[in-house]
Amino acid sequence: MDPGLEKRLPKSEDLKAMTRESLAAAFAGESQAAEKYLVFAEQAEDEGLPQIARLFRAISFAETQHARNHLRVMGGIGATADNLKAAFDGEAFEVDEMYPAYEEIAVTQEQAQAKRSLRFARKAETDHKWMYEQARERALEGKDVDEQPVSVCVVCGHTVIGDLPDKCPVCAAAKEYYRTF
Amino acid sequence: METPYLNTPPPPEELGAMTRGNIEAALAGESQASQKYLAFAAVARDEGYPNVARLFEAVAYAESTHARNHLSVLGEIGTTAENLKAAWGGETFEIDEMYPSYRAVAKLQENESAQTTIRYALKAEMDHQEIYDSTLKGVEGKKDFDESAVYVCPVCGHTVIGKRPGYCSQCYTDGSYFREF
Repeated sequence: MDPGLEKRLPKSEDLKAMTRESLAAAFAGESQAAEKYLVFAEQAEDEGLPQIARLFRAISFAETQHARNHLRVMGGIGATADNLKAAFDGEAFEVDEMYPAYEEIAVTQEQAQAKRSLRFARKAETDHKWMYEQARERALEGKDVDEQPVSVCVVCGHTVIGDLPDKCPVCAAAKEYYRTF
Repeated sequence: METPYLNTPPPPEELGAMTRGNIEAALAGESQASQKYLAFAAVARDEGYPNVARLFEAVAYAESTHARNHLSVLGEIGTTAENLKAAWGGETFEIDEMYPSYRAVAKLQENESAQTTIRYALKAEMDHQEIYDSTLKGVEGKKDFDESAVYVCPVCGHTVIGKRPGYCSQCYTDGSYFREF
């Protein structure tokens, strides 16, 4: 980030427990608002309202700045090697505990679509976990990861480094539905 | 492989209370992961890890697809008019209740940075509330938002329609830094 902007952002500080709790809740709220507005932008586009779609994207970007600011104040943004560890831990929790527990309940309650949405996420988080693990090993040696394309299935979030599969192995979407970074 | 549902996010379904609670928690988790990874990508770029930055951005996008799928199963993706109403409702809650309460606690506990990040968000949500309100009125009369540019401050999220401001009225960041949508 531009150093002129960096110095203007709220700094991390020693937080009392109640204030920390407030910021953690505000971070959750801003994050969800930012994601919802991106989805609402797609919906507006489908309805032939491109200007409203643009407006939703702009406001989503504003919420992203709030989320980042709250996270900074909580001390949640570190050096890249630390960030990769935090990201790995989050994925590991989702893969090992959260999604299996949620899926079990969705099966018990016979909720087919909920189960599908949970499974899509769990499958992708499994990929993310090892990608973060490998990237962290490189970062600890002061090295970047290789310059390979990273592609994401627009339907289920399946994430693949390098060549694209013909079809998504998780949801069977065609190759054309991947977005490449 | 789930060919019957090819290329569509999981549709809404009638959810048991336990499963609904889990999908809501998963939406909160995915949204926060996505926003964190975007912040981590900016750090990686600053540290000279452009490929790690790209990996974080790709995975952030994957988490966005999960957030969208969970939102779809919850039945929270409506028509644009409904989405604007929901967005207005969220902003209103943040302005009327959430941020004033959090600000009071941060003040009581003398956490300065926390007060700054809360104030930035509160002020911008007021912009958003007003913008969503007038946009909703337009959509109810079958009108798209007009083609005016939308500018967002990358420090505090202050959102302006029309002309690029000389500087941010909330945090005094130079107007040249505002991102245009």
